[in-house]
Parts: sequence; structure tokens; C-alpha cells
Amino acid sequence: MNSITRRTALGAAIAVPAAAALARAAQAAAPTEIELFFPVPVQGMLANKMKELIDRFNSGHEGVKVTAVYTGSYDDTNLKTRAAIKAGKPPGAVIMSANFVREYVINDEVEPFDPIIEKAGGTAAAYIDAFWPALKPNAVIDGKVFGIPFQNSTPLLYYNVEAFTEAGLNPDRPPASWSEWITAAKALTKVSGGQTERWGLMFPATYDYCGWITSGLVMANGGQYFNHDYGGEVFYDAPSTLGALTLVDKMVNQFKVIPPGVSDANACTSAFFAGRTAMMVLSTGSLSFVRDNMKLAYKVAFLPRSVRNAVPIGGASLILPKGNTPERQAAAWTLITWLTSPEIAGEWSRFTGYFAPRKAAYDLPEMKKYLDDHPDAKVALDQLRYAVPWFDTYNTVAVRKAMEDQVQAILSAKVTPAEAIATAQKRADGLLRPYVEQTALKSLG
Amino acid sequence: MKAEWRLVRLLGVSAAALLWVVPFAWMAVASLRPGVPTDIASLTPAGPFGLDNFAMAWKSGDFPLWYLNTLAMCGGILAVQLVTISMAGYAFARLRFRGQELLFAAFLLQLLLIPPLLIVPNLAILVSLHLYDSLLGIMAPYFASAFGVFLMRQTFRAIPRDYEEAAMLEGASVAVLIRHVLLPLARPGLVAFAIVSLTAHWNEFLWPLMAVSSPRNQVLTVGLATFASGAEAGSAWGIVAAGTFMVAAPLLLMFLLFQRRFVSSFVFSGIK
Repeated sequence: MNSITRRTALGAAIAVPAAAALARAAQAAAPTEIELFFPVPVQGMLANKMKELIDRFNSGHEGVKVTAVYTGSYDDTNLKTRAAIKAGKPPGAVIMSANFVREYVINDEVEPFDPIIEKAGGTAAAYIDAFWPALKPNAVIDGKVFGIPFQNSTPLLYYNVEAFTEAGLNPDRPPASWSEWITAAKALTKVSGGQTERWGLMFPATYDYCGWITSGLVMANGGQYFNHDYGGEVFYDAPSTLGALTLVDKMVNQFKVIPPGVSDANACTSAFFAGRTAMMVLSTGSLSFVRDNMKLAYKVAFLPRSVRNAVPIGGASLILPKGNTPERQAAAWTLITWLTSPEIAGEWSRFTGYFAPRKAAYDLPEMKKYLDDHPDAKVALDQLRYAVPWFDTYNTVAVRKAMEDQVQAILSAKVTPAEAIATAQKRADGLLRPYVEQTALKSLG
Repeated sequence: MKAEWRLVRLLGVSAAALLWVVPFAWMAVASLRPGVPTDIASLTPAGPFGLDNFAMAWKSGDFPLWYLNTLAMCGGILAVQLVTISMAGYAFARLRFRGQELLFAAFLLQLLLIPPLLIVPNLAILVSLHLYDSLLGIMAPYFASAFGVFLMRQTFRAIPRDYEEAAMLEGASVAVLIRHVLLPLARPGLVAFAIVSLTAHWNEFLWPLMAVSSPRNQVLTVGLATFASGAEAGSAWGIVAAGTFMVAAPLLLMFLLFQRRFVSSFVFSGIK
């Protein structure tokens, strides 16, 4: 490619604005073109499936032309969206990790949906009531709708039926409490000649996943983990957190039923498929992937409880970035209503394993049949009753990491749970300080 | 004594080569195993083997387009860089001007900046130049290279002035001097830089992801990630390995070809 010389570069620099001017003149007749940024949260053919959905949308809607833009992981999508907004090229809509929505609101980078919903002749409150109640706190912020849930998940316990039988456990009675969980994990761990052949339990402890599962354990231990209504507080240094981290510490370092160190989701599924771990905690969003690839008999169960049943919500919502014209906003709204309609939400749910956020999706006959055919998907849906909001604060990623670094240190036996929660709280408080000083501790004159 | 040292050195080099080759060997083996085998970590599995993963990976994306775009991007960046770094390198190596040291230090300071820091400012410039979402937009920030300028300055400095003086006696202008005397002698530096530049841009993920949105402008790394990365589930390693193999293959091939060129360019250049 020696053809790209300075001259062609110069030529392009002149030609592009001219073409843009022409395009603007032609726009009156042309459909409104918008981009949809989307992450691929689960591996496989999902990117192709999304493109197929968008093709179908485009052929059915003359006034709108959507381009589906793959934007990497949840974190990459966040980065790209933020950069595009700052550079003045916001996409029409984004499928954004639901726990980042609050930060966009704090930074004033998203539009509320309320005016559009009202213009269409409804109320925002009624609109969001069509979704599962547990999704509301991550979507409705300070009384306004900023996210429309698209694909959602909770952590789920996957277990190997044969391993249960072999260990003398009843595969129809999975561990429901933490003490049963420990007993089962001990029985399931198989050691031979000093080498662990089969671990009792594994869970992904890489960034993002680590915080999500930790928060689930804390919530199952009765805790809140963070202030669900205000982005400036986390409850890391609390008895409920200490108890949860003690569970992890004991399982890894004392009972040795979880492999030491940090495993990622790939390591967990690979070990689970190979029978090298008898149980794993993984997202309900992985249901289809596990179903397609697990050759051994397996079942799923609720995340075991200590004080109560509780699991955090995960997944993504559609948002409307600031900086778009009213025409582009209207086009994005057409797309969003279509994507979150019961039919499409249901189809996406059956394809991925995520549950459909819109309640009405489950009234459709094909969805009823799907649940009858797949009891694992039914368990995932039933667990929704116990779902609590997902961790979202000011500076979410950094505050989340403050705890994740400590949990990872526990997994490597470098700190005790008591030290971990104290350090995590101190770091989180430091990170949250700027926001707290502007809000809760704002100078009153 | 000498023979023993040679043996030790041979063993050391072999060990390093083995370390280097294991991931590639595993990638090749894994890419040939259909489905999700349970002993996926094995380097010497029993089988079955097949090309299913390559077919799946090929179908998962628009590989021909991605290859073309990546080639255009890397080639375009390198072509412009070779011009800018030789000219700037020459200026810093041979010309004398006021503030030279300071300017050179400022140039080197660029190396200390972490690229993600510049994402938003660079994007804003692209938007104002109407280069957002274009291949030229991915290339533009790399047209000047601090590392390249540094490398060329050092290379030019190592060339004895006798060559230039001889050429100047013959009446050569500066342009002729650079093109016909210095650049041929600086070939090892240029080749070394070309390898570094091509590898870096071929493998780059974050900036292309940020600068380009349209599927028609997608490059290999971002394309590969559409089916190779999953945040919430595990991976079908076979397909990932096959896709990675297809992405890395041209680069590997180029290395094998370039290796000879690299060595021979040292031999022929008259500099040791």
C-alpha cells in the first residue's frame, strides 16, 4: 500500500467535507442513519445474530437505517461510547452494561427517556413497570428513566450431576445454604496423590466478574454492599462483607475446595466441561453456551444463601447518549422499542440464555415452550424473585476494583478477610470523596 | 572449553525457542480440534482433527475485507512513517540549529505518554478533520513516530561522514545525499523500524476500536474480538485458536521472509 501518500491524504481531506455537504443536501429524502454500539457479552455467534436482528429491523423500517457496531467488551464499549460522546460523534443508541448508566447520569452524558415516552402518549412510570421490578434501580435514576433493560442475568450455581452421585450427594437436592455448600464442596473435591483431580467449586474472579459474585455473596449474607439510591457510599467494611469474604477465604485456603489464584470464565467453563470442577458459579447469560458444550449431565440451582436468598442483577440496558438531534433520537427510540418488544426480547433470550427483561415476553407461546423444554432456564427465571440491584456508584469501575483487588489477594492467601475489607473501604472512600464532597457533604455556606 | 560454551549457548537458545514456540504449537493443535474437547490444554491430543474451526471462524466474519483493511492501514502508516522519520532523523543527526537538543528531548518525551490518554483528544481532531470512522483516521496519529526518529538519528550518526563528504565533492545536493547515500546505508535501521511498526499496528486493538465504527472499515484485531471474546461465558477455544491463527498467519509469514532480509541487510550495508 504505497499509494497512500501525502497527496492522497490531502485529497481525502478536501474530498471528505465536500462529500459530507452533498450528503447533507440529500438527507431530506434519505432515512435517518444511526449507529447502535453493542458489546458481545457471551462468546460465539452472538455478533452475527445481532447483525441479523438489525438487518431485519432495517428492512421493516423505511425511515431509519441502523448500523450495528461491535464495540468489544462491556468496559471497551463504555470507553468507546464515552470517547465518541466527548469527540462530538455520539452513537444513536448503546447497549451499555447496566451498572454504568448511573455514571453517565452523574456526568450528564445521557438523555432521559421520559420526554419521548410521554410524547408517545404514556407515562415513564407505567412504561418501566412492564419490566421485572429488580431491573428498575439500575434503569431509573433520580426519578427518571435513563436505561431500557435489554438483556439481563444473575449469578447461578451450575453443578455436575454425576459428580454429585459419585460423592454420595443427592443431585435433586443442591446445596441451598452456605453450610450445605461447604459440605457439598468438601465431598465433591477429589484428591489423589497430593493432586486435586476435581475441585468442589470454581468461580471467575477476574475484574468485573469478581465484584459481581462478591456482591452476590454479601447480599446472600444479608448485606446491602452499596447504597442503592446514592452513588457515594459503599459498605465494604461491614459484618455482611466480612462474612462473605471469610467464606471465600475458608473455601480456598482452609478447606482447599476452590483452586487458589484467580480463574477466569474460560478456565471455569473448561474445567466444568472436563469434570475438573463439580460446581461453578456463572452468569445465567451463559446458559446457552453451557447447554451447547457440556457433554456430562448437569443442573443449575439458586446461589446458596446465608441469611437470605439474594443475587445481583447483571446485563445491559439501552441508553440514549447526549448530543444527538431530535431526528436521531426518534430513530433510536424506534429501534429501542423494537429491540425490547416481547417478541424480539424473547427471541434474544432463547438464543443467549439471558432472561428477557420485559415480563410480557414470557406470555408468548414460544417462550412457554422454551421454559418447558429447558428447566435450567426456568430456575434462572425463578431466581429473579430474589434479585437486587447491580453495583453502581460514582467512578464505578475503580470503586469496584478496590474490593476486587482484595478478593483476589484472599484467593492468593495474601491478606486476611479483616484486612481486606478495611483496605477496600479505605480505598473506595478515597475514590468516592470528590463526588461525596459535591453532593452529600456539600458545603452549606 | 570453547566447545562446551557453544553447547551451553545452544541449549540456552533452544530453551528460549521452545518457550516461544509452545503457544504457537498449541494454537495450531487447538485450531484443528472440532468442538469443545475436554483436554483442550493438551499439545499432543489423540484427535479427532479437522478444519471445522477454520470454516466456522471464516464464516463468523468478513476476513477478506479485514485483511485488506489491515494491510492498507499498516502499509499506509509505514509508508508515511519511513518518509517522516528519515527526514526528521537526518535533521537531528546532521543539521545544526538552535534549540536542537530541547526539541529532540521534547520529541522523546512523547514516548512516555500512554496512548489511551490521547484517545479523546485524537478523536476530537479526527472529527474536525472529517476523518472519524475512516482508515485514514486510524493511520493519521501514527504518521510521525518518536521512536522512529530516535532510531534513524542513531542510525545516521553511526554512518561515517566520509561517505557524505565524498558525495558532496561530487556535487550532490542534500536530497540526493539522503536518498542515494544515507538511506541505502541506513537500511538496517529502516528494516528494524518497519518490523516494529508493522507488528505494533497489525496487533493494535484499542485505537482502531475507537476510531472506526462502520463494518466496512473494520480491521483484523477488532473483527477477531467479535467472536473471540466473551465477558460472561467461556470460550470455544478451537474457534478462537483458528481465528487467531488466521490473524497472525500473514505476520508470521512475513517474519520468516524478513528474517533473511534482516540479516542480509546488515551484511551488505558495509556497517557492522
